[in-house]
Amino acid sequence: MKLSQKAVKNGMVAIGTLLLLFFLIQFLTQSNSPPPPKSTLSEKPTGGNFTLTSVHGKQSLSDFKGKLVLLYFGYTYCPDICPTDLGNLAMAYRGLNEQEKAQVQILFVTVDPERDTANRMAEYTDYFNADMIGLTGHNNEIARVAKQYGVVYMKAKNPLNSNQSDAQNYTVDHSAFTYIINSTGQLQTQVPHAMPPAQIQTLIRTYLTQDNAS
Amino acid sequence: MKHALKTSTYAITLGLLTALSSSPLLADQADDIQVSDPFTREMPPGAFATASFMTLSNTSDQNIKLVQVDTNAAKSAELHTHTNDNGVMRMRQVSSFNIPAKGVSTLQPGGNHIMLISPSKMIKAGNTVSVTLTFEDGSSKQVSMPVKSVMNQNNNHQHHNH
Repeated sequence: MKLSQKAVKNGMVAIGTLLLLFFLIQFLTQSNSPPPPKSTLSEKPTGGNFTLTSVHGKQSLSDFKGKLVLLYFGYTYCPDICPTDLGNLAMAYRGLNEQEKAQVQILFVTVDPERDTANRMAEYTDYFNADMIGLTGHNNEIARVAKQYGVVYMKAKNPLNSNQSDAQNYTVDHSAFTYIINSTGQLQTQVPHAMPPAQIQTLIRTYLTQDNAS
Repeated sequence: MKHALKTSTYAITLGLLTALSSSPLLADQADDIQVSDPFTREMPPGAFATASFMTLSNTSDQNIKLVQVDTNAAKSAELHTHTNDNGVMRMRQVSSFNIPAKGVSTLQPGGNHIMLISPSKMIKAGNTVSVTLTFEDGSSKQVSMPVKSVMNQNNNHQHHNH
Protein backbone atom coordinates (compact mmCIF):
# COMPACT_ATOMS: atom_id res chain seq x y z
CA MET A 1 0.00 0.00 0.00
CA LYS A 2 2.80 2.35 0.93
CA LEU A 3 4.66 1.48 -2.24
CA SER A 4 1.66 1.99 -4.45
CA GLN A 5 1.01 5.36 -2.87
CA LYS A 6 4.54 6.36 -3.74
CA ALA A 7 4.00 5.13 -7.28
CA VAL A 8 0.85 7.17 -7.54
CA LYS A 9 2.68 10.22 -6.29
CA ASN A 10 5.50 9.69 -8.80
CA GLY A 11 2.96 9.18 -11.53
CA MET A 12 1.19 12.40 -10.64
CA VAL A 13 4.45 14.33 -10.76
CA ALA A 14 5.26 12.80 -14.14
CA ILE A 15 1.85 13.68 -15.55
CA GLY A 16 2.11 17.17 -14.16
CA THR A 17 5.50 17.69 -15.77
CA LEU A 18 4.22 16.36 -19.09
CA LEU A 19 1.20 18.64 -19.00
CA LEU A 20 3.37 21.63 -18.25
CA LEU A 21 5.70 20.72 -21.13
CA PHE A 22 2.72 20.26 -23.44
CA PHE A 23 1.29 23.69 -22.68
CA LEU A 24 4.71 25.28 -22.93
CA ILE A 25 5.29 23.75 -26.38
CA GLN A 26 1.81 24.74 -27.51
CA PHE A 27 2.35 28.28 -26.32
CA LEU A 28 5.70 28.54 -28.07
CA THR A 29 4.55 27.10 -31.38
CA GLN A 30 1.40 29.16 -31.35
CA SER A 31 3.23 32.43 -30.95
CA ASN A 32 5.63 31.54 -33.75
CA SER A 33 3.20 30.17 -36.34
CA PRO A 34 1.40 32.54 -38.72
CA PRO A 35 -2.31 33.08 -38.17
CA PRO A 36 -4.48 30.31 -39.68
CA PRO A 37 -5.27 30.79 -43.39
CA LYS A 38 -8.33 32.93 -43.86
CA SER A 39 -11.11 31.45 -45.90
CA THR A 40 -13.16 34.59 -46.05
CA LEU A 41 -14.62 35.78 -49.30
CA SER A 42 -15.08 39.34 -48.22
CA GLU A 43 -13.04 41.03 -50.93
CA LYS A 44 -14.90 41.54 -54.17
CA PRO A 45 -13.31 39.31 -56.82
CA THR A 46 -12.23 40.94 -60.06
CA GLY A 47 -12.92 38.00 -62.38
CA GLY A 48 -11.43 38.29 -65.86
CA ASN A 49 -10.37 36.08 -68.74
CA PHE A 50 -8.74 32.67 -68.35
CA THR A 51 -7.75 29.71 -70.48
CA LEU A 52 -8.24 26.11 -69.37
CA THR A 53 -8.68 22.71 -71.01
CA SER A 54 -11.91 20.99 -72.00
CA VAL A 55 -12.31 17.66 -73.74
CA HIS A 56 -12.17 19.65 -77.02
CA GLY A 57 -8.87 21.37 -76.17
CA LYS A 58 -7.98 24.82 -74.89
CA GLN A 59 -10.92 27.02 -74.08
CA SER A 60 -10.97 30.63 -72.87
CA LEU A 61 -13.68 32.65 -71.24
CA SER A 62 -13.29 35.10 -74.15
CA ASP A 63 -14.46 32.33 -76.53
CA PHE A 64 -17.93 32.93 -75.10
CA LYS A 65 -18.04 36.65 -75.80
CA GLY A 66 -21.62 37.58 -76.63
CA LYS A 67 -22.98 35.02 -74.18
CA LEU A 68 -23.96 35.24 -70.55
CA VAL A 69 -21.66 32.81 -68.69
CA LEU A 70 -22.57 30.98 -65.50
CA LEU A 71 -19.29 29.84 -63.94
CA TYR A 72 -19.15 27.25 -61.16
CA PHE A 73 -16.16 25.73 -59.34
CA GLY A 74 -16.36 22.22 -57.87
CA TYR A 75 -15.21 18.66 -58.54
CA THR A 76 -16.68 15.44 -59.86
CA TYR A 77 -16.17 13.42 -56.67
CA CYS A 78 -18.22 16.05 -54.81
CA PRO A 79 -21.03 14.03 -53.24
CA ASP A 80 -23.67 16.67 -52.45
CA ILE A 81 -22.84 20.36 -52.91
CA CYS A 82 -21.84 20.29 -56.59
CA PRO A 83 -24.68 18.03 -57.78
CA THR A 84 -27.11 20.35 -55.98
CA ASP A 85 -25.78 23.53 -57.58
CA LEU A 86 -25.09 22.08 -61.02
CA GLY A 87 -28.52 20.43 -60.97
CA ASN A 88 -30.13 23.78 -60.17
CA LEU A 89 -28.14 25.54 -62.90
CA ALA A 90 -29.06 22.81 -65.37
CA MET A 91 -32.73 23.05 -64.45
CA ALA A 92 -32.67 26.83 -64.87
CA TYR A 93 -30.98 26.48 -68.27
CA ARG A 94 -33.30 23.76 -69.49
CA GLY A 95 -36.28 25.96 -68.67
CA LEU A 96 -35.09 28.70 -71.05
CA ASN A 97 -36.42 28.99 -74.62
CA GLU A 98 -34.12 28.14 -77.54
CA GLN A 99 -33.27 31.77 -78.24
CA GLU A 100 -32.28 32.36 -74.63
CA LYS A 101 -30.31 29.11 -74.45
CA ALA A 102 -28.23 30.25 -77.41
CA GLN A 103 -27.11 33.24 -75.34
CA VAL A 104 -26.17 31.31 -72.18
CA GLN A 105 -23.19 29.06 -71.40
CA ILE A 106 -22.58 27.12 -68.18
CA LEU A 107 -18.90 26.44 -67.36
CA PHE A 108 -17.80 24.00 -64.66
CA VAL A 109 -14.18 24.44 -63.49
CA THR A 110 -12.65 21.73 -61.33
CA VAL A 111 -10.88 22.54 -58.06
CA ASP A 112 -9.52 18.98 -58.07
CA PRO A 113 -7.35 18.92 -61.21
CA GLU A 114 -5.35 15.92 -59.97
CA ARG A 115 -8.32 13.61 -60.36
CA ASP A 116 -10.54 15.50 -62.78
CA THR A 117 -9.24 14.90 -66.29
CA ALA A 118 -10.89 16.63 -69.25
CA ASN A 119 -12.60 13.34 -70.15
CA ARG A 120 -13.90 12.82 -66.68
CA MET A 121 -15.21 16.39 -66.60
CA ALA A 122 -17.00 15.90 -69.93
CA GLU A 123 -18.63 12.67 -68.78
CA TYR A 124 -19.80 14.41 -65.64
CA THR A 125 -21.14 17.59 -67.26
CA ASP A 126 -22.99 15.55 -69.92
CA TYR A 127 -25.03 13.99 -67.13
CA PHE A 128 -26.72 17.34 -66.48
CA ASN A 129 -27.84 17.64 -70.09
CA ALA A 130 -27.47 21.42 -70.23
CA ASP A 131 -24.70 21.98 -72.85
CA MET A 132 -22.37 22.49 -69.90
CA ILE A 133 -18.59 22.58 -70.52
CA GLY A 134 -16.18 21.06 -67.99
CA LEU A 135 -12.73 22.65 -67.64
CA THR A 136 -9.54 21.43 -66.01
CA GLY A 137 -5.87 22.46 -66.03
CA HIS A 138 -2.62 22.31 -64.13
CA ASN A 139 -2.70 23.02 -60.41
CA ASN A 140 -1.24 26.50 -60.89
CA GLU A 141 -3.67 27.34 -63.72
CA ILE A 142 -6.64 26.38 -61.56
CA ALA A 143 -5.19 28.28 -58.60
CA ARG A 144 -4.85 31.41 -60.73
CA VAL A 145 -8.45 31.31 -61.99
CA ALA A 146 -9.72 30.55 -58.50
CA LYS A 147 -7.87 33.58 -57.17
CA GLN A 148 -9.34 35.80 -59.88
CA TYR A 149 -12.82 34.81 -58.80
CA GLY A 150 -12.18 34.68 -55.06
CA VAL A 151 -12.75 30.93 -54.95
CA VAL A 152 -11.42 29.21 -51.85
CA TYR A 153 -10.65 25.47 -51.91
CA MET A 154 -8.61 23.05 -49.86
CA LYS A 155 -8.22 19.32 -49.60
CA ALA A 156 -9.80 17.69 -46.58
CA LYS A 157 -9.30 14.20 -45.21
CA ASN A 158 -12.07 12.14 -46.68
CA PRO A 159 -14.85 11.87 -44.13
CA LEU A 160 -16.33 9.18 -46.35
CA ASN A 161 -13.45 6.79 -45.89
CA SER A 162 -11.79 7.82 -42.67
CA ASN A 163 -9.98 4.52 -42.16
CA GLN A 164 -8.19 4.58 -45.50
CA SER A 165 -4.92 6.35 -46.03
CA ASP A 166 -4.85 6.38 -49.83
CA ALA A 167 -3.36 9.55 -51.33
CA GLN A 168 -6.30 9.67 -53.75
CA ASN A 169 -8.73 9.50 -50.89
CA TYR A 170 -9.79 13.04 -50.04
CA THR A 171 -12.62 15.50 -50.43
CA VAL A 172 -12.27 19.17 -51.27
CA ASP A 173 -13.83 21.89 -49.16
CA HIS A 174 -14.70 24.69 -51.52
CA SER A 175 -16.69 27.88 -51.84
CA ALA A 176 -19.88 27.16 -53.74
CA PHE A 177 -20.85 30.33 -55.55
CA THR A 178 -21.97 30.60 -59.15
CA TYR A 179 -20.43 33.56 -60.94
CA ILE A 180 -22.49 35.43 -63.51
CA ILE A 181 -20.38 36.97 -66.25
CA ASN A 182 -21.91 39.23 -68.90
CA SER A 183 -21.50 39.08 -72.67
CA THR A 184 -18.37 41.23 -72.55
CA GLY A 185 -16.65 39.04 -69.97
CA GLN A 186 -17.34 41.25 -66.94
CA LEU A 187 -18.13 39.58 -63.64
CA GLN A 188 -21.57 40.79 -62.58
CA THR A 189 -22.49 38.98 -59.41
CA GLN A 190 -22.04 35.79 -57.43
CA VAL A 191 -24.96 33.55 -56.54
CA PRO A 192 -24.91 31.65 -53.23
CA HIS A 193 -25.07 27.88 -52.84
CA ALA A 194 -28.41 26.14 -53.43
CA MET A 195 -30.29 28.98 -55.10
CA PRO A 196 -33.42 27.36 -56.57
CA PRO A 197 -33.67 27.03 -60.39
CA ALA A 198 -36.56 29.50 -60.70
CA GLN A 199 -34.55 32.24 -59.01
CA ILE A 200 -31.49 31.50 -61.15
CA GLN A 201 -33.67 31.72 -64.23
CA THR A 202 -34.97 35.14 -63.19
CA LEU A 203 -31.37 36.33 -62.74
CA ILE A 204 -30.37 34.93 -66.14
CA ARG A 205 -33.23 36.79 -67.83
CA THR A 206 -32.39 40.01 -65.99
CA TYR A 207 -28.77 39.91 -67.17
CA LEU A 208 -29.75 38.87 -70.69
CA THR A 209 -32.02 41.91 -70.93
CA GLN A 210 -29.21 44.15 -69.66
CA ASP A 211 -26.80 42.65 -72.18
CA ASN A 212 -29.21 43.04 -75.06
CA ALA A 213 -29.95 46.64 -74.10
CA SER A 214 -26.30 47.70 -74.00
CA MET B 1 -9.10 1.16 -2.53
CA LYS B 2 -12.12 -0.10 -0.68
CA HIS B 3 -13.56 3.35 -0.77
CA ALA B 4 -13.09 3.60 -4.53
CA LEU B 5 -14.85 0.29 -5.04
CA LYS B 6 -17.76 1.47 -2.98
CA THR B 7 -17.98 4.70 -4.91
CA SER B 8 -17.96 2.97 -8.28
CA THR B 9 -20.62 0.49 -7.20
CA TYR B 10 -22.72 3.42 -6.16
CA ALA B 11 -22.10 5.15 -9.48
CA ILE B 12 -23.07 2.07 -11.47
CA THR B 13 -26.26 1.62 -9.45
CA LEU B 14 -27.14 5.24 -9.88
CA GLY B 15 -26.43 5.00 -13.61
CA LEU B 16 -28.65 1.96 -13.98
CA LEU B 17 -31.45 3.65 -12.11
CA THR B 18 -31.18 6.74 -14.28
CA ALA B 19 -31.13 4.65 -17.44
CA LEU B 20 -34.23 2.77 -16.40
CA SER B 21 -36.14 5.80 -15.24
CA SER B 22 -35.37 7.80 -18.38
CA SER B 23 -37.01 5.23 -20.63
CA PRO B 24 -40.52 4.97 -19.21
CA LEU B 25 -42.22 1.68 -20.06
CA LEU B 26 -39.19 0.97 -22.30
CA ALA B 27 -41.04 2.24 -25.36
CA ASP B 28 -39.17 1.94 -28.64
CA GLN B 29 -37.84 5.21 -29.90
CA ALA B 30 -38.30 3.90 -33.43
CA ASP B 31 -42.06 3.87 -32.79
CA ASP B 32 -41.96 7.57 -31.96
CA ILE B 33 -40.26 8.58 -35.19
CA GLN B 34 -42.19 9.18 -38.38
CA VAL B 35 -40.34 9.37 -41.68
CA SER B 36 -41.63 11.40 -44.61
CA ASP B 37 -40.38 12.24 -48.13
CA PRO B 38 -37.34 9.95 -48.08
CA PHE B 39 -35.22 9.85 -51.25
CA THR B 40 -31.74 9.02 -52.46
CA ARG B 41 -30.04 11.02 -55.14
CA GLU B 42 -29.11 9.36 -58.39
CA MET B 43 -25.33 9.22 -58.79
CA PRO B 44 -23.72 11.21 -61.57
CA PRO B 45 -21.20 9.08 -63.50
CA GLY B 46 -17.95 8.60 -61.61
CA ALA B 47 -19.35 9.54 -58.22
CA PHE B 48 -18.33 7.30 -55.35
CA ALA B 49 -21.03 8.28 -52.91
CA THR B 50 -24.49 9.70 -52.92
CA ALA B 51 -26.61 11.50 -50.36
CA SER B 52 -30.03 10.54 -48.99
CA PHE B 53 -32.58 12.83 -47.49
CA MET B 54 -35.80 12.63 -45.46
CA THR B 55 -37.81 14.35 -42.77
CA LEU B 56 -37.81 12.75 -39.32
CA SER B 57 -40.64 13.74 -36.95
CA ASN B 58 -40.50 12.94 -33.26
CA THR B 59 -43.95 12.42 -31.74
CA SER B 60 -42.63 11.82 -28.23
CA ASP B 61 -41.81 14.42 -25.61
CA GLN B 62 -38.17 13.41 -25.40
CA ASN B 63 -35.29 14.10 -27.75
CA ILE B 64 -34.33 11.11 -29.84
CA LYS B 65 -31.00 10.53 -31.52
CA LEU B 66 -30.51 8.74 -34.80
CA VAL B 67 -27.18 7.02 -34.25
CA GLN B 68 -26.71 4.53 -37.09
CA VAL B 69 -27.77 3.73 -40.63
CA ASP B 70 -27.28 0.38 -42.35
CA THR B 71 -27.92 -0.64 -45.93
CA ASN B 72 -27.22 -3.47 -48.30
CA ALA B 73 -27.00 -1.05 -51.21
CA ALA B 74 -23.60 0.37 -50.30
CA LYS B 75 -20.38 -0.53 -48.54
CA SER B 76 -21.30 1.81 -45.73
CA ALA B 77 -23.77 4.48 -44.72
CA GLU B 78 -22.78 7.43 -42.56
CA LEU B 79 -24.37 10.48 -40.97
CA HIS B 80 -22.94 13.68 -42.39
CA THR B 81 -23.40 17.36 -42.00
CA HIS B 82 -22.35 20.42 -43.96
CA THR B 83 -21.23 23.65 -42.46
CA ASN B 84 -21.28 26.81 -44.52
CA ASP B 85 -18.13 28.59 -43.41
CA ASN B 86 -18.46 31.98 -45.07
CA GLY B 87 -19.44 30.42 -48.38
CA VAL B 88 -17.05 27.46 -48.10
CA MET B 89 -18.99 24.23 -47.73
CA ARG B 90 -17.35 21.71 -45.45
CA MET B 91 -18.71 18.18 -45.16
CA ARG B 92 -17.99 16.22 -41.99
CA GLN B 93 -19.12 12.96 -40.46
CA VAL B 94 -21.14 13.22 -37.24
CA SER B 95 -22.05 10.56 -34.68
CA SER B 96 -25.77 11.30 -34.47
CA PHE B 97 -28.66 13.49 -35.59
CA ASN B 98 -30.87 14.84 -32.83
CA ILE B 99 -34.60 14.79 -33.47
CA PRO B 100 -36.06 17.21 -30.90
CA ALA B 101 -39.02 16.28 -28.70
CA LYS B 102 -42.28 17.01 -30.56
CA GLY B 103 -40.07 18.38 -33.30
CA VAL B 104 -38.65 17.68 -36.72
CA SER B 105 -35.18 17.03 -38.11
CA THR B 106 -34.91 17.61 -41.84
CA LEU B 107 -32.18 15.93 -43.84
CA GLN B 108 -31.74 18.05 -46.95
CA PRO B 109 -29.20 18.98 -49.64
CA GLY B 110 -26.48 21.22 -48.21
CA GLY B 111 -27.27 20.19 -44.63
CA ASN B 112 -27.58 16.97 -42.66
CA HIS B 113 -27.77 13.89 -44.84
CA ILE B 114 -27.16 10.17 -44.92
CA MET B 115 -24.22 9.36 -47.18
CA LEU B 116 -24.18 6.05 -48.99
CA ILE B 117 -20.55 5.25 -49.73
CA SER B 118 -19.29 2.92 -52.46
CA PRO B 119 -22.68 1.61 -53.59
CA SER B 120 -22.61 -2.02 -54.64
CA LYS B 121 -24.20 -1.05 -57.97
CA MET B 122 -25.03 2.27 -59.63
CA ILE B 123 -27.89 3.98 -57.85
CA LYS B 124 -30.25 4.92 -60.69
CA ALA B 125 -33.47 6.91 -60.81
CA GLY B 126 -36.47 4.62 -60.67
CA ASN B 127 -34.87 2.19 -58.21
CA THR B 128 -35.44 2.14 -54.49
CA VAL B 129 -32.83 1.86 -51.78
CA SER B 130 -33.65 0.39 -48.40
CA VAL B 131 -31.95 1.60 -45.21
CA THR B 132 -32.33 0.69 -41.55
CA LEU B 133 -32.27 3.59 -39.10
CA THR B 134 -31.13 2.77 -35.57
CA PHE B 135 -31.89 5.05 -32.65
CA GLU B 136 -30.12 5.62 -29.35
CA ASP B 137 -32.08 2.94 -27.49
CA GLY B 138 -31.16 0.34 -30.10
CA SER B 139 -34.60 0.20 -31.70
CA SER B 140 -34.67 0.47 -35.46
CA LYS B 141 -36.86 1.26 -38.41
CA GLN B 142 -36.64 0.35 -42.06
CA VAL B 143 -37.10 3.04 -44.71
CA SER B 144 -37.51 2.52 -48.42
CA MET B 145 -36.17 5.47 -50.42
CA PRO B 146 -36.97 6.10 -54.08
CA VAL B 147 -33.99 7.24 -56.19
CA LYS B 148 -34.39 10.62 -57.89
CA SER B 149 -32.14 12.53 -60.23
CA VAL B 150 -30.94 15.99 -59.15
CA MET B 151 -33.08 17.47 -61.89
CA ASN B 152 -36.36 15.73 -61.09
CA GLN B 153 -35.83 16.28 -57.43
CA ASN B 154 -35.85 20.02 -58.02
CA ASN B 155 -38.92 19.68 -60.17
CA ASN B 156 -40.76 18.15 -57.28
CA HIS B 157 -39.73 20.96 -55.00
CA GLN B 158 -41.21 23.47 -57.38
CA HIS B 159 -44.47 21.56 -57.44
CA HIS B 160 -44.62 21.70 -53.68
CA ASN B 161 -44.50 25.44 -53.83
CA HIS B 162 -47.59 25.77 -55.99
